[in-house]
Amino acid sequence: MSNEAKPVTIVMIEDDEGHARLIEKNIRRAGVSNEIIPFTNGTEALAFLLGPDGSGLVNKGRQLLILLDLNLPDMTGVDILEKVKGNDHTRCAPVVVLTTTDDQREIQRCYDLGANVYITKPVNYDGFANAIKQLGLFFSVMQIPKAD
Amino acid sequence: MPISGNALVRSTAALLLVGLLALAAIVGTTIWLVERNQVYFDQGLQARIARSATVNLRNALQNAETGQRGFLLTGEERYLEPYNDALPQIPDLLERFNTVQKSYPEAAASVAALNAGVADKLSELAETIALTRAGKRDEAMAIVETDRGKDAMDEARTLFDGIITAADDRIVTGIEDQRGSTNALRWVTIIGAFVIFVVVGGSAVTVMAYTRDIAKARADLEAANAGLEDRVRERTDDLGKANEEIQRFAYIVTHDLRAPLVNIMGFTAELEGTVGTLQAYMNGHDDGDDPRWNDARLAATEDLPEAIGFIRSSTRKMDGLINAILKISREGRRQLRPEQLDLNDVIETSTAAVHHQISENGGSVTSDVKVPRIISDKLSLEQILGNLLDNAVKYQDTARPLTIMVRAALAAGNRILIDVQDNGRGIASTDHERVFELFRRSGAQSQPGEGIGLAHVRTMVRSLGGEITLVSELGTGTTFTISLPRDLRNYVGSVQ
Repeated sequence: MSNEAKPVTIVMIEDDEGHARLIEKNIRRAGVSNEIIPFTNGTEALAFLLGPDGSGLVNKGRQLLILLDLNLPDMTGVDILEKVKGNDHTRCAPVVVLTTTDDQREIQRCYDLGANVYITKPVNYDGFANAIKQLGLFFSVMQIPKAD
Repeated sequence: MPISGNALVRSTAALLLVGLLALAAIVGTTIWLVERNQVYFDQGLQARIARSATVNLRNALQNAETGQRGFLLTGEERYLEPYNDALPQIPDLLERFNTVQKSYPEAAASVAALNAGVADKLSELAETIALTRAGKRDEAMAIVETDRGKDAMDEARTLFDGIITAADDRIVTGIEDQRGSTNALRWVTIIGAFVIFVVVGGSAVTVMAYTRDIAKARADLEAANAGLEDRVRERTDDLGKANEEIQRFAYIVTHDLRAPLVNIMGFTAELEGTVGTLQAYMNGHDDGDDPRWNDARLAATEDLPEAIGFIRSSTRKMDGLINAILKISREGRRQLRPEQLDLNDVIETSTAAVHHQISENGGSVTSDVKVPRIISDKLSLEQILGNLLDNAVKYQDTARPLTIMVRAALAAGNRILIDVQDNGRGIASTDHERVFELFRRSGAQSQPGEGIGLAHVRTMVRSLGGEITLVSELGTGTTFTISLPRDLRNYVGSVQ
């Protein structure tokens, strides 16, 4: 990690635009103003994360936080998680899994692959907003190096 | 051609009867023919005896005559020797001849004539010999010249020849009869042997054909059995797969339904926030003169919150339903853990959870477990019984204290029947199947509920390889009967 801290870029991989919008709104509402790059499918997201050559060099030294939905049209979020955590350059990026699945086996699998946080999208909106708010706190902790 | 059991019995019996008759005929005929042979032989023997007796008598008579003639010619006693030898024999020989000839009544006349002739001849002989000895040879010769002795002798000879010829005839006839009966015996034996061969051969062919039929039928049956087992296994596999498919389908559908619901709820909340902002602004400004302002305020303060309220309650309900389906589908996907259980313990655990609610109204729970040992999934069993007991408590008849009876007994096919009987309000006969359907409820909707309890129970019972049925009368009570395999491992093994 370079001494010159760069602002954290949030990579949001979410195929449901409504969910994406709600997540973004709540992040902003929590006072997080970092750049959010949205992707609606896995292929494009992987191209961005690992670069066109798939080596991940493009993101060397960049600070990324990945918001990942597990149900994507072209692949499952687990595939993306596997590739991100298997790459030397993107391995350090925290991954927050956001999904409707509350299947215990699925959750355990994500943690085993290196997911940092797993949030189930509750239909209860207050719970959802609360979870995002907590995520905002998480971001602000990450942003401390930038503030220094 | 297949032979039926009856036809086999009939044809075999008929063949055996024919064989028996043939054998009896052969034996009977043989005995009869042997008897006949014996008779012919005896007759032949008799004829030979008669013949020899006749011949002996004739010879003796001729010897006597020869002796007389020699004596008459020479006058010497030594020429009389044949006569002297024959004379003492003749009475005996005659006696024997008469005895033998008694068997032939047709010869009686000849015999009588012969006796007379013999006596006549003997007296002529004795007379002439006596005269010669006395020296009256001329007198003796005169007697001879009367041909009295010659005539008697000729007559006797003729009679002798007749009797001998008759005896010879009888001997020949006897031999021919004997040969005939021997021939008949041969033919009877040959024909009988042929019939027996036919009978034995026929029986053998019938039995072999029948045995072949039986062997073939058995092979067919075995093949059909093997095929049946394979088909059952195949169907069970198919069922298992179809069940899994439905579970997966339910799981996926509920998940995919949830995603839009998150949006609806989320944006409804956003809308609510916006409406809140709007209301705050509206309440802060009063412009009572403008009717459009009033309309807008009414929309913001009443119509919008009402609409949002309905959207919220509907989505909440929908979320509840989706969660219910999820719960059931997850239950179906849960790995069952068959273990040795004591039904008494399981029932105890389940009743303990509702014990307080039951005793509160003076009710009681009793159990009668005849077969306590079962190998099944403990959690599922507890949930099944728990749900049924919950229902019994929820839908009890308030007019009388609740009594619940739990029974367990062995049933055919190594299964266990568990009855949960209550005296609650009962279920109308039209709803007996409906209550097991998802989101369906029966009777007065006096209790909160989503209509998933019994659907869930049925899913669990089926995943344990069982079936649940109910017997109920409105106002009297309900009995749920669960039929479970005694050993879940057999069932799980057959599905996987």
